[in-house]
Amino acid sequence: MAVSTPVLPAAMAGEPAGARRRVRPGRRVADRALKLVSAVFTAVGVFALGWILLMLLWRGFSALGPSVFTSITPGPGSAGGGLANAMVGSLVLTVLGIVVATPIGVLAGTYLGEYARVSKLASLVRFINDVLLSAPSILIGLFVYVLLVAPFGSYSGWAGGVALAIIAVPVIVRTTEDMLRLVPNGLREAAAALGAPQSKVITLVTWRAARSGIMTGIILATARIAGETAPLLFTALNNNFWFSPSLVGGVSNLPVTIYQFALSPYQNWQELAWAGALIITMTILGLSVVARFVIRKEVAR
Amino acid sequence: MNAVSSMVHLDRGGRPGTNEGAPARISVRNLDFYYGDFHSLKNITIDFKDRHVTALIGPSGCGKSTLLRCFNRIYSLYPDQRATGEILLDGRNILAPNVDVNELRSRVGMVFQKPTPFPMSIYDNVAFGVRLYEKLPKAEVDARVESALRRAALWDEVKDKLRQPGLGLSGGQQQRLCIARTVAQGPEVILFDEPTSALDPISTGKIEELIEHLRTEFTIVIVTHNMQQAARISQYTGFMYLGELVEFGATNNLFMNPVKKQTHDYVTGRFG
Amino acid sequence: MSLVASSEHILAASHAGSPRPSHSGFDRIFRAAAFGCAALVLLVLAGILAAMLYGGWPAFREFGFFGFVTGSVWNVGADQYGAWPAIAGTLSSAFIALVIGVPISLGIAVFLTQLSPPWLKAPIATAVELLAAVPSIIYGMWGLFVFAPLVANYIQVPLNSVVEGLPIVGTILYSRVPSGTGIFTAGIILALMIIPFIASVTRDMLDQIPPVLRESAYGIGCTTWEVVRHVLVPQAGVSIIGAIMLGLGRALGETMAVTFVIGNANRLGGSIFDPGSTIASRIANEFNEAADLQLNALIALGCILFLVTFAVLIAARLLIARVQRS
Repeated sequence: MAVSTPVLPAAMAGEPAGARRRVRPGRRVADRALKLVSAVFTAVGVFALGWILLMLLWRGFSALGPSVFTSITPGPGSAGGGLANAMVGSLVLTVLGIVVATPIGVLAGTYLGEYARVSKLASLVRFINDVLLSAPSILIGLFVYVLLVAPFGSYSGWAGGVALAIIAVPVIVRTTEDMLRLVPNGLREAAAALGAPQSKVITLVTWRAARSGIMTGIILATARIAGETAPLLFTALNNNFWFSPSLVGGVSNLPVTIYQFALSPYQNWQELAWAGALIITMTILGLSVVARFVIRKEVAR
Repeated sequence: MNAVSSMVHLDRGGRPGTNEGAPARISVRNLDFYYGDFHSLKNITIDFKDRHVTALIGPSGCGKSTLLRCFNRIYSLYPDQRATGEILLDGRNILAPNVDVNELRSRVGMVFQKPTPFPMSIYDNVAFGVRLYEKLPKAEVDARVESALRRAALWDEVKDKLRQPGLGLSGGQQQRLCIARTVAQGPEVILFDEPTSALDPISTGKIEELIEHLRTEFTIVIVTHNMQQAARISQYTGFMYLGELVEFGATNNLFMNPVKKQTHDYVTGRFG
Repeated sequence: MSLVASSEHILAASHAGSPRPSHSGFDRIFRAAAFGCAALVLLVLAGILAAMLYGGWPAFREFGFFGFVTGSVWNVGADQYGAWPAIAGTLSSAFIALVIGVPISLGIAVFLTQLSPPWLKAPIATAVELLAAVPSIIYGMWGLFVFAPLVANYIQVPLNSVVEGLPIVGTILYSRVPSGTGIFTAGIILALMIIPFIASVTRDMLDQIPPVLRESAYGIGCTTWEVVRHVLVPQAGVSIIGAIMLGLGRALGETMAVTFVIGNANRLGGSIFDPGSTIASRIANEFNEAADLQLNALIALGCILFLVTFAVLIAARLLIARVQRS
């Protein structure tokens, strides 16, 4: 210890010329390289995001006009057109997905966070849920195709909604459980001490205490499914018309429309694809920002 | 802390012996308690008299809170905790397997160490327990809330902001809100688990005063690590050590003429 | 609490007031509903596997599991289907994604936890998280319309003039048609897409290392590099591998972005610049026009993807092992 003391402050400061000799040059080079490389890599990541967003803004805004919101998607070879039906369809599918996913996700998260914190079954559910959280969405599309499209012989908005719900559920389960775990146990004991049965403790007290956290999970899940394309390819499909209110048959939606239009040879289709991409990305980023805001408000309280 | 200072308060406060004839509300018979494999209460037998304040004192870890948590079976929220023996409330064994614990808890209220207002308005906090078990018209709920807040000496401070969140109150107010919430439900017994240990001296004084008043209506058991507090507000005191009830008796007897050496050492501040 | 609905009256009777109602009916239903929803999560996973096996069964039966996996011909006209080109495309694009994405992700994690000035932390962390929120189709469009032409002009064309005719590298790095699309471009786009996941999990892991460890290492005169190399990496190593596996799981199953830029060729080329296809892109491309055995073969592809990605994801989760949850 006594030997090393004179060296160490110098190694940290790196400045005093006399002491610097004691630090092997290799150490300094490796240190500098690490700092430089990680700073450059971070810059690359931020730069990529900026590049993607700027391109999107530029191409998107130049294609954006009032008719995008008022007209329906044009047929092949026809001029003009908009995305009205696709936007409404996306909204319907997303709402459908989240309406199905929310009760299931919140209840499953509640089971993990309130009823069965330590049981083996709960650990298994927790684990599988985490795996599903990053499962390829195209597989979920195939699953719903085999489950709901092939047997009924028709694509439908319902199948699309179910596919989106399956993607949303794990997000909601995870955040619900995490947020319920943040609720202090004293609150549960206090409610139970007033004679509240467990169901009332949960619905009246702990859910309420975790409310904004659970909301955040739902918003994040909405953001996640709003831009999903792959699972809709085989379930809700897409078309260039207003869909029927029964949601049977193809339901036009933004992500699949963007996919088809972007890869098409028609100029107006490609422009609409950019406009749609801008709309959907801004919606999703907006939702993510709102979700972060809700969390921050909760932490501040 | 010394026995002399507590004596001064005792002379002013409730004098044991004046209510000698009061019946036992809670009778504990041969109670044992286990946290998993850990045997934390050993063969406890003790009576708690109706409309008296009984204090449980002892060094931390002695089992006094554990004993308190048996009276409303709040421990049964945790699967690894269990109690054996008998606790008779009005003659019925509340440890029996066929007891509806929720109904039991609506009759045995509990106030915790840390204030635990629910994330809802002051009004809804107080009405919470009432609404769980009684379907009352709004006017009647209003009346119950007001009366509970008055009895908790909180009404004048919150009557103009009943719709504001309970979390917005100060610590002492929050604790009185929790007392009001318990009182509103109309329990027979109120358990206090170190209710003032998280509060400042002024709030503590208010809560102690409140307990003094509540004694006229309820059977009160209070766990405290503060011996002066036990001396000030209780008529009976039990001293617990290492999971056993070492000594139990009228508060001034226990503090001034303890029978057991351990009790003597504790109340005179030799350990603990 | 299944304790006793039947005998609440024992206590209620002794109470002076009105009898107090029991809540146990709703309590039981609520608990059962919560349990049912939790079980549904397990059921979904089982359902996916069952659906893949059921839908893909005819293809597996026709070609044999082994024959299907190793078959290198995908010919719709001849009704001949082999999964190998798609599997190889999936593996090679994911490999490229890891080679590029992992160092960048780790760099970002180290920067955020060790080097960044405090005022820069939040904006960069936000940017990285937003990168994760951008829908994959946007990456695809950016890749196809912006990035691919750059790859063609600034990488493929110059590289061609260098490697042409050389042994080995002349095959691996030569692009017959320098269009910018292909497995290499897909790998880069995938790298961008997995960066946020690997970086944020790694950052969480590094953040969880007790500060006292780091501080004592700095305290005995370690440089940042030495702290990272000898303290942080050994401490968080396993979890970082888990994070990388998580990214790999994403890369293997990513569909839309890859479909845009991979070129969608059914044959396996020798060069990383050749167009190819991944399992997911093949399914996305052909599914809606497919019928009969082709449809079964596509679902069988999905089955293989399921087995591979879930094995990777399960390994990833086991490695990360819930340190986060504490």
